[in-house]
Amino acid sequence: MHHANHFYGHAHVLAEYCGLDPDDPPRINGYVQHGWNVVDGLGAGTPYVSGRPIFVWSEQTRRRAWSMGRRYATVVGAPFLYLLELQPEFAEPQHREGTIWYPFHGWEGQHIAGDHQRLIDEIMATEDGPVTFCLYWHEFRDDRTRRRYERAGRVICHGYRGLRWLDTDTKFLHNQLAELRKHRRVASNRLSSAVLYGAAVGCAPAVYGDPMHLAGEVQVIAERIRRQWPELHGTHPDPAAATASALAELGAGNLASPAELRAVFGWQRALVGTS
Amino acid sequence: MAGWSDPSPVSGRLLTHLLGLLRPLVPEDGRILVAGPHDESLVAALSAVAEVTCLVRSQSDAAELSDRGGTVLCGTLAKLTDTDHYDVVVALDGVERLCSVEGPQYDWAESVQVLRRSLRPGGALLLAVENELGVHRLVDRTTVTFAHTDSAWRPLGEFDTKPGSPARLAAHLTGDGLTVGWLGTAWPLPSAPTFVATADALRDGPSGALSAAVSGAVATAYAGRPVLSDPRRLAAAAVRGGLGAELAPAWLVLAFRGPAPATTLPAVLTGAGPVAELPEGRLLEELLIGACLRHDLPTLRRLLAAWVAERPTDSFDNLVLDGETLRLLDPVRATTEPELVLRHFAHTLLAGGYYQPWPAADVPALTAILLAVAGLAGDGLAGHGPVDSDPAPPAPDSLREHEEQVRRLEERLADAATRLSYTETELVRRDAELRRARLQIDAFSGKVGYRISKLGARAARKAVRAVRRSPLFKD
Repeated sequence: MHHANHFYGHAHVLAEYCGLDPDDPPRINGYVQHGWNVVDGLGAGTPYVSGRPIFVWSEQTRRRAWSMGRRYATVVGAPFLYLLELQPEFAEPQHREGTIWYPFHGWEGQHIAGDHQRLIDEIMATEDGPVTFCLYWHEFRDDRTRRRYERAGRVICHGYRGLRWLDTDTKFLHNQLAELRKHRRVASNRLSSAVLYGAAVGCAPAVYGDPMHLAGEVQVIAERIRRQWPELHGTHPDPAAATASALAELGAGNLASPAELRAVFGWQRALVGTS
Repeated sequence: MAGWSDPSPVSGRLLTHLLGLLRPLVPEDGRILVAGPHDESLVAALSAVAEVTCLVRSQSDAAELSDRGGTVLCGTLAKLTDTDHYDVVVALDGVERLCSVEGPQYDWAESVQVLRRSLRPGGALLLAVENELGVHRLVDRTTVTFAHTDSAWRPLGEFDTKPGSPARLAAHLTGDGLTVGWLGTAWPLPSAPTFVATADALRDGPSGALSAAVSGAVATAYAGRPVLSDPRRLAAAAVRGGLGAELAPAWLVLAFRGPAPATTLPAVLTGAGPVAELPEGRLLEELLIGACLRHDLPTLRRLLAAWVAERPTDSFDNLVLDGETLRLLDPVRATTEPELVLRHFAHTLLAGGYYQPWPAADVPALTAILLAVAGLAGDGLAGHGPVDSDPAPPAPDSLREHEEQVRRLEERLADAATRLSYTETELVRRDAELRRARLQIDAFSGKVGYRISKLGARAARKAVRAVRRSPLFKD
């Protein structure tokens, strides 16, 4: 129902998991949480439409949503985990090398301010092995920022997120999964979905470096994140504890079966139509 | 008392069984006094054991009883001056309907003393005592003291001298010189109990099976009846919380004038007779509701998968989970379709106001989701089958649940309005996108130049305005 359901091809991944056409996902009866969130699961500036649930990733997010007055929230888990169900790891693990680094990013509504060069220097000092910088499309399009990172290592972008159902790169998550599985470590200067995804597929997660300043952000929340998830912060946190925490944040263990997801999204009629 | 008849005498198969179990207490040539209005089947059960004398206050009831044979005493309790006369005194209707309008009006304590005096040394008194704080009173929309019926010429309710708890009842009888041999709690209503368990059995026995039995008895008695709040939920919670005896609708006490004999009545009884053993484990319905309230999806999925694997045709309130096995409580109860079991559970969740992981769903949608969670969903639109084939008794007509329904309806109405306005906003946006797309299509398909020039003119005006506003032109 909300265009954010199509961000990063989430609706497409979920449609494939449910046995429907991944290129034409039916309308979802609610709002799918599209990024790791420490409030109620809605993205910044998204209105809460009562009566249709927010499909949150974890039970903790659902509790937060209720305490903020969102009466309708159902836990389904992160769409990335459903992609993992569709593309499980091979029996012999792939060769992994180096670190994939996700610099903190802005979007159409908020820009990042900070010293990229200083961050790059710190990264190169901390990491041993090759570094792949994965820039968000917003920074990837900015030639000046991109060139700084290109001088230090390999620069990639997973694709465009999509806006109002247009120009969505439906293979965004697939690209991200493939890249994450090629690297030994995943890191960022802020705890974010990418770090959690990396931890879920076997990368050792890390969060360090200048967190930068996002225009108009609430500082208190950023500080709370560092306090509440210490096991995921630092240059070399304990991989076991960090991975366990990441999986909990993504809602692992709460994944629904395809039939259950179809019932919850309101997709039963879609299945009848395709048979 | 002329021109009077006591309606609804105490009755039921369970009480008939219970009276049959009194046989060892009655000696040869023994005498039994049945005090108060008892159903003819109960009197007949006792007549088979020994000589029965009935004491009733109503003249017409007395006439009917004497037609069937046996001795009948007709009159108010004050006229019972026999002392040391009876081997067994049975008062399963309590002592509230023993005094007529004429003559002295006895309190509960005084009435019990009269009955006790009529006992021979070593004799037994089987007395029913209504609990003024029993579940049936707590959910009643009217109270005894409202005095709407002809029989309520002296309605005392909780202001009588009746003891308020089983412990005080036992203490009172002991103080009166009696020895309590057996104290049972009677469910669901004093006038026709269908389940009896001693206070110790309720406290120490398996709470899953006991709370299910109590709740089931209450469900049958209260189907569709108006109440303040759901008595099934209250009764089950009382038994689970160890307060079953204190909140039971009535107590049945067997007390002796002298030492109590070794043999006594069974711990748990139903209409079919004594119950030897109750299965251990927690009630499946209680576990599922708990998982819903905790939003524990993994536990819900695990429990439903176990139910589908082992017992897909049995209702959740008829199964207990003992470790990893599901055991049946009542094998006599009819089995149903799995979809009906889930629909009934969905209805229980929504009508009872239990928060669950899918708050946006109504009964058909929730049934479909539960079918999918249990792994039973087909390709079709499940959850929309016929409603009349549901075999469970209708729920009590509860005021609290009504308020919850009204509140939920108001919320759904407000939600529908919000969604409508959101959809209208989306429509406006999509209209604008569509209009832009159409203009673009027209422009590229070489249609009327007028449209292109219109587009061009508007764009030119916007550009000029932007340039005028820019800092380059500020002076």
